[in-house]
Amino acid sequence: MSNKAARNLFIFGSLFFFVIFLGLTFDTMKQIDGRAPEVTKEVDDGKQVWHKYDCIGCHTILGNGSYFAPDMTKVVEKKPAGYLKKFLMDPKSTNKNATMPKLGLSSKEADDMIAFLTWISKIDTNGWPPKPILAQAAGVGGAQQTRGQQVYQSQGCSNCHSINGIGGTSGPDLTKVGAAGKDAEWHMKHLKDPNSLVPGSAMPPYPSLSDSDLKELAAYLVSLK
Amino acid sequence: MTIKYQSQKIAQYFYTFAIILFAVQVLVGLVAAIQFLKPDIAILSFATIRTLHINALVVWLLAGLMGATYYVVPEESETELWNYPIALFQFWATVVAVTAVVVGYIVMGIFPQANISVLGTLVLNEGREYIEAPRWADVLIVVSVLLFLFNMFMTMLKTKKWTAIQGVLLTGLVFLALMYLPGMFYSKNMVKDQFWWWWVIHLWVEGSWEVIAGALLAFMLMKTIGAKREVLEKWMYIEVGLVLFTGILGTGHHYYFIGTPKYWWWVGGFFSSLEPVPLLLMVWDAFRTTREARNVTNKVGLFYTVAHAIFNFVGAGLWGVIHTLPQVNQWTHGTQITTAHGHLAFYGAYVLLIMAMIYVTLPSMRGVKEFKTSRAYQAFWWMTISMVFIVLTITGAGMVQVYMERLMGLDYVAVKANYNLWFWIIRAIFGVGFLVGTLIFVYDYFRLGKDQGLQKT
Repeated sequence: MSNKAARNLFIFGSLFFFVIFLGLTFDTMKQIDGRAPEVTKEVDDGKQVWHKYDCIGCHTILGNGSYFAPDMTKVVEKKPAGYLKKFLMDPKSTNKNATMPKLGLSSKEADDMIAFLTWISKIDTNGWPPKPILAQAAGVGGAQQTRGQQVYQSQGCSNCHSINGIGGTSGPDLTKVGAAGKDAEWHMKHLKDPNSLVPGSAMPPYPSLSDSDLKELAAYLVSLK
Repeated sequence: MTIKYQSQKIAQYFYTFAIILFAVQVLVGLVAAIQFLKPDIAILSFATIRTLHINALVVWLLAGLMGATYYVVPEESETELWNYPIALFQFWATVVAVTAVVVGYIVMGIFPQANISVLGTLVLNEGREYIEAPRWADVLIVVSVLLFLFNMFMTMLKTKKWTAIQGVLLTGLVFLALMYLPGMFYSKNMVKDQFWWWWVIHLWVEGSWEVIAGALLAFMLMKTIGAKREVLEKWMYIEVGLVLFTGILGTGHHYYFIGTPKYWWWVGGFFSSLEPVPLLLMVWDAFRTTREARNVTNKVGLFYTVAHAIFNFVGAGLWGVIHTLPQVNQWTHGTQITTAHGHLAFYGAYVLLIMAMIYVTLPSMRGVKEFKTSRAYQAFWWMTISMVFIVLTITGAGMVQVYMERLMGLDYVAVKANYNLWFWIIRAIFGVGFLVGTLIFVYDYFRLGKDQGLQKT
């Protein structure tokens, strides 16, 4: 191949692929709006809060960012909005293990941020992040679970609490919660209204749990020693 | 060896600025590595430290590329620079703008509320990774780059030599400047925001910068061993052609999971799998040319040139291709695997490239034929061994993270704090090793050609 032929291959080949890329970009731009809910004013305000505090300096979102702190794509599915709001406004007083600094978000900014993250969670991401294989499997197979364990699972307690390393880290670890000296009665009251026993608690109340479910769940928690 | 044209000396301003920022980058990088273990170790939080780490990287590499270009174009055009004062103004304007941006990041790190919005744009930090620089700085950067490109173009126009090397170099630089623009408008939709953001990031790093690297590789092989221009230029066209044929549509590997249509799985998966091919070709090119060489005039320069080609392929090529297929990437996306790839790719493709260009061009600017080379080799081994282990530890951390978080369902924070702890400790230790190598290099840069008993020309 002559140098001139190589040069022409470079120039026209690159232009060819760039034109294809432009075509695909055009088509993608038409499809993007249909793959997520409408962007409301709150969502856009929340996005600006996201940029203002340089959240991507630590977090990832849609898998892109700094890998220092958890991914925010599905965070609203895992954490109740009440917890998120308290956490955003004052992380360390909400979860004493938190690394995140207190950035000084106003109440409105926190609400807008939650609206933005709720919108993010509804984007069609082609199935990302995938559901963890083992955690999925553990919920459907294995040994017979007690009623208390089933309630623990069905209420999503493990989104914030962990037992033996499985679960979230936003709430206290429950591996040895039964050894903390609280009886079943205390736990039942706490589950119905956490704030009445732990003022300022970020945990949401579970008033809709039936008395028998409450009793079983409390028994399970007391058994963890 | 002396330089042919006095105005080529402008390159040294850019090299010096680049190297100071490089030292800053490595220093804050070490702080960031320690913050994985103790987040409150510094006054500035991880977010600010990391912003400084990646912005210093981008700016020093750009400054290095500009310096290299200021050296190459007069040499290839066989004439003095079109306008030296404008080049000097462009340099100082860049320094002032970059310093202002850095001060802004630090202010925002201490007072987060200071990052207010004026006329719809944030004044200190735009909160978008890699292109955090605020809009006023974007405008200054564009003006600076346009002045630079205009000066280069006018210099070429003086003699109209239009050599292939400077043609490809300028093509890469114009492409680089154009691809900065998609990052400069606000989109309410986060998916569109990230879509255009990747145009900047991907088409820089896996597009225009690799084109520039291809041109500089040919230039360095010609300078260090006197390889034949015609052969080098032909392979350069093929290499940079393949870079763009695979790299442009390879952008699709960032569009798998961000809310874009699923056909990107096919486009991105296919083309990005081929992205290592041109990088392998560059390695082969470097070895073939070196084997045929009879007359090595600059051993250290050649050493760094070949090392750049190899680590460009390993870091940008191999470490990228292992997680580029969507079936793999759905598990690894957003994990430390990407961090590992980023570190080795930037080191191999661009850090070593700028260092190679410095060792190839600096001796003539300092007016020496020979120079003491032991420090250059020491810096290389300290840096390279450290970087390889940094990358291996982050890769290990990423593998553990993928299995525990993505497969077993453990919490992100639990994996990072407990199961990855040792990886962070080892990474920080090798970070110290990398800093040692960097400081040796910085010292060598300022000392090169000034040691006693060297033959002057």
